[in-house]
Amino acid sequence: MSRKGKDNIVKGAIYASAGFTVFVLIAIIGFVLVKGLPGISISFLTRNYENKTTYVTVTAVTNLHTEDLQSGYIDPLGITLKVNEDGKLEITGIDKDSPCKDALNLKGISYPVKKGDLVASVTPLNDTTMKMKVIRPGGGIVPMIVTTLYMILLSLIIAAPIGILSAIFLIEYAKPGKLRNIIHFAIENLAGIPSIIYGLFGSLFFVKLCQLKYSILAGALTLSIILLPTIITTTEETLKAIPKSYRESSLGLGATKLQTIRRVVLPNALSGILVAVILSVGRIVGESAALLLTAGTVAQIPKALFGNSASGATLTIKMYTLMKEENDLTTACAIGIVLLVIIIVLNFASKTVTKKLLSRKSV
Amino acid sequence: MVRNRKRELYEKIVETIFLLCALVGVISVIAIIIFVFYKGLHPFFGTDAYSFWDFISGTRWAPGSDTYGVFYMIAASVLATAGAMVVGVPIGVLTAVFIAELAPKRAVKWMRPAVELLAGIPSVLYGAFGLGIIVPMIQVISPRAHGHSLLAVIIVLTVMVLPTIITLSESAIRAVPKSYKEASLGMGATQIQTIFKVVLPAAKSGILSALVLGIGRAIGETMAVMMIAGNPVQGIPNSIWSMVRPLTTNIAMEMSYSSGRQQEMLFATGVILFLFIMIVNLTLLRITHKAGEK
Repeated sequence: MSRKGKDNIVKGAIYASAGFTVFVLIAIIGFVLVKGLPGISISFLTRNYENKTTYVTVTAVTNLHTEDLQSGYIDPLGITLKVNEDGKLEITGIDKDSPCKDALNLKGISYPVKKGDLVASVTPLNDTTMKMKVIRPGGGIVPMIVTTLYMILLSLIIAAPIGILSAIFLIEYAKPGKLRNIIHFAIENLAGIPSIIYGLFGSLFFVKLCQLKYSILAGALTLSIILLPTIITTTEETLKAIPKSYRESSLGLGATKLQTIRRVVLPNALSGILVAVILSVGRIVGESAALLLTAGTVAQIPKALFGNSASGATLTIKMYTLMKEENDLTTACAIGIVLLVIIIVLNFASKTVTKKLLSRKSV
Repeated sequence: MVRNRKRELYEKIVETIFLLCALVGVISVIAIIIFVFYKGLHPFFGTDAYSFWDFISGTRWAPGSDTYGVFYMIAASVLATAGAMVVGVPIGVLTAVFIAELAPKRAVKWMRPAVELLAGIPSVLYGAFGLGIIVPMIQVISPRAHGHSLLAVIIVLTVMVLPTIITLSESAIRAVPKSYKEASLGMGATQIQTIFKVVLPAAKSGILSALVLGIGRAIGETMAVMMIAGNPVQGIPNSIWSMVRPLTTNIAMEMSYSSGRQQEMLFATGVILFLFIMIVNLTLLRITHKAGEK
């Protein structure tokens, strides 16, 4: 075969490979969009996951019973009802001065009835008050969003200082030698450990031994170790890029090492550290195997850092359980869309920061 | 004088804090190794010891009847990883060649973010893609009744290792000195000949570390694989249509409800996985150090 013919075949293979890569990305995004978009709605993004049934007392002079409720305006309560698709009575309108807005739950705490709530029953208690059974429909992902945010905050609070200080030690203090090699060797190895092993360790050490139970703290501590290599390596790169002359002139002016680090090195490293944080957030949002074994799969907002009511599923974990245990690919892919949006925003953010960093350096 | 000494002391304390933070990474690695190995090796010692040979060579996992064999899982992990490499490495390296050498600037502007996005997609999403697209497609063409299979795992892992291979190969290719290429082109070689005879051989160690990192990622992947592998309780995979149960999914599937010996056996599975990862890490270190020496 001629040289040109051979070249063309190889060229074809190269183009086909690049095309395949792009095609796969489009296929994945397309699949998640097509499957998930029907599940995306305002209520999906703003509602609790589980239905919540509450008994409330409403101060209203009325003698209303459940049988009297029907579609239309209910004058004494100041609400408009409508029979929804499931045959339940849904509140579609609520007056400004409706007594339902001052409703109290059985503990006497204010629980204002909202538009979208379902009214299951009403019973008069006495002449001036009545009891109402209100169901606030779920089907939303608010608990998972909140848990994910908690997880991001908590992990970063733990991992960011440790990681950044480690990098400062490695670049500014440690002399080339055994200690630095050992630390680098450890970090390189940490980066290669798969998250399921971190999960095993976390479930044994943090969940059982430290008795944190399945909790966001156990999850965040496990995540912190996972994040260390990313934060340390990225910060190290940034510190390395700061010209030596900066430090020398500061030291030469009589500043101590610590003053130099605080006033000269760190301000110049800020955007690099920001990139490290953004990368970490991406890792936290995407992490699943380690969290499955440490933070649990309950769709709730954690009420404590650790202990019995502190477990919570992040978006990724919920997406997994929806597919595996509930066979609900539509809702799972709707969460997938939310995840994709987060990842795209993060990628864009880290790009912008890096670009700023580079343009400043060239000045 | 006093103030100076105070300041010195302060500086010393801060430096110690920095050092302690830097040691957290080291302590973590040691703690992970000790805890996982201690718990994982426990069932093979003592009065009620389980035969290590039965564990490593067994092809049935039945905690109910106190049978724990992981050989078929090792086979699954190795086959899936090898498959993903055989398909993924050529595609990844060729894509890297495209981005670094052939693509017009405008295409590079689109390809880079695409690869970065592919790298950032959470593994659960890859699992959804596998479950929603790949598995049903395989079910249509497979001689067996199910779409969960080694083939599905290989396909999804291939896609998942692509970004790693592409990014690392691309930077390796870009690091090849321009003069190499110019010399080759000047001697009358075509662009393609130059790429395959000069550039790629020069970028060999970078591409090799891309391959090893890819292996690490593939063998450690859990969530995406768990949804599409089928996870049978026994049987060495004998074709690409067989259901498989890689080491990682064995751990993730049973960890939440296991206790006693079953849980220790999951840690033992983790030990095997860890050994594979150690081999991968050490290989990688050797490659990068060798490249550094050059």
